[in-house]
Amino acid sequence: MSRADDGSPGFGVTVAALAVVVFLQVPVIVVVLAAFSTTSYLTIPPQGVTLAWFGKVLSDPTYLAAIRMSLILAFGSTAISLVLGVAAAYALFRKALPGAEAITSFLMAPLILPAVVIGVALLQYFSLTGLRGSLFSLLMAHVVITAPYIVRSALASLSGVDLATEEAARVLGANGLEAFRLVTLPLILPGLVAGALFAFITSLDNVPVTIFLISANQTTLPVLIFTSVEMGVDPSIAAVSTLLIVGTGATLLIAERWSGFHRFV
Amino acid sequence: MIRYRHGIMLLAPLALVLAGFFLLPVVMMLPTSFREYVPGLGLAPGVWTLENYTRIITDDYYREVIWRTLGLGLFVTLACLLLGYPLAYLIARGPERWRVPLILLVVFPMLLNLVVRSFGWIALLANRGLVNNLLTELGLIASPLKLMFNLTGLMIGLTHIYLPFMVLMLVAAIRNVPRDVEAAAATLGSSRAHVFAAVTLPLSAPGILAGSILVFVLTISALVTPRMLGGPTFKVMATLIYDEYMQLLDWPSGSALSFALTFMAIGVIWLSSRLTRNWAGMA
Repeated sequence: MSRADDGSPGFGVTVAALAVVVFLQVPVIVVVLAAFSTTSYLTIPPQGVTLAWFGKVLSDPTYLAAIRMSLILAFGSTAISLVLGVAAAYALFRKALPGAEAITSFLMAPLILPAVVIGVALLQYFSLTGLRGSLFSLLMAHVVITAPYIVRSALASLSGVDLATEEAARVLGANGLEAFRLVTLPLILPGLVAGALFAFITSLDNVPVTIFLISANQTTLPVLIFTSVEMGVDPSIAAVSTLLIVGTGATLLIAERWSGFHRFV
Repeated sequence: MIRYRHGIMLLAPLALVLAGFFLLPVVMMLPTSFREYVPGLGLAPGVWTLENYTRIITDDYYREVIWRTLGLGLFVTLACLLLGYPLAYLIARGPERWRVPLILLVVFPMLLNLVVRSFGWIALLANRGLVNNLLTELGLIASPLKLMFNLTGLMIGLTHIYLPFMVLMLVAAIRNVPRDVEAAAATLGSSRAHVFAAVTLPLSAPGILAGSILVFVLTISALVTPRMLGGPTFKVMATLIYDEYMQLLDWPSGSALSFALTFMAIGVIWLSSRLTRNWAGMA
């Protein structure tokens, strides 16, 4: 059979596809280049090269507080979601309860509702209960939007686990928790790493829920960028964005080496 | 099988968090959407009304925003399909050693902060942005093209943002098409284009539908990109809700719009699941 017949992409398809890959990277490249420009407005190619904007960002207490807040929320909500999400997925996997399908739909529901709707619903709720602006309210909001990713990846990973291995551990004298920790957990760990990464990035990325819940003196990094863009664009935004780009890229490469991340997307 | 009591104990923490901080808040928004808003005062006490909902359908401005939102969803979905299919095909059927790097190059912008990506498009599309500067220097245009604060900017930005989701869905769909069916069609004398149109495309239809629904729902729900590229005046439903709450403080109207948006999103998902079930019935 000739190569043209075996369904592998032809020259035209390949060129079009590679052009789309470039299109996907264009705004990223633009932001990184703009961050090194010596002019106070954005120019490409940059007029001269400077690291001044990075210095400005890293010595600005507003940015530093926002970065700190974002990391607290992302680490905190991912950790809480991991514990609650894996426990719930495990109960569903072991068929401990009737109506597993309905329960799963309920646990996934925050993914279906538009994020802005969850945001305004929580705004009213936290205003009425007097919790608005507290770290607790923000953490719970981020658990709501991150937990579905953990549940989904845990359920997907668990579906590949043979229950007999855990039963064997039980027969050999392990208690339920030991059997889970020593047998099942290692098997689902790569999938959980991918799910946790999705959860972490979802929290770190979130604006449409967070923006309704923050108080005046505490904001997260994406909300800060979002509101500063409305005031006007300057290269310090490009610099802090570049830090995020480098951070995301590094995390993705580490996750790929560590757990073969591309298998889970 | 583990016991019922253990199951409850494992499930309860997450279920309670979702009930308390997701279900209850959304349900509590429902009565608000039937209240009357008095500017400066807040909710009129003891007054219940359907007006917040009827206004969405009768008011010209609201109608315009809804049509714009739906049109945007449709266009972005089509654009993602057209741009995404060749790339998904290359990932699914191209050289093996390209696969992982290409997937990572698709996933990277998807994982990157939405605000950062939208900011990149501002730098490109603004009046003195990169695209206009380039076109002016090449002498192709005399005055800058208006690429932001209008439909064009939102279409470009949102297509870029949601393209990775479509590509990943299509890759999975194309990989599921059995290659021997294609080979059989080719052996029987079908041209390459005909094999694609008669075999590959229909067999990847479930993935096309799933990806389209996902992109459509994400697009009509989007807040960040429409706000950053559309500015405060060129509104879609999500940015309208944002302004009702944050600028006008009109919670009744904002909550009615929220339920309308939710209804649209869930309606589209429900319709598509009906459609898939019918397909499964025909097979």
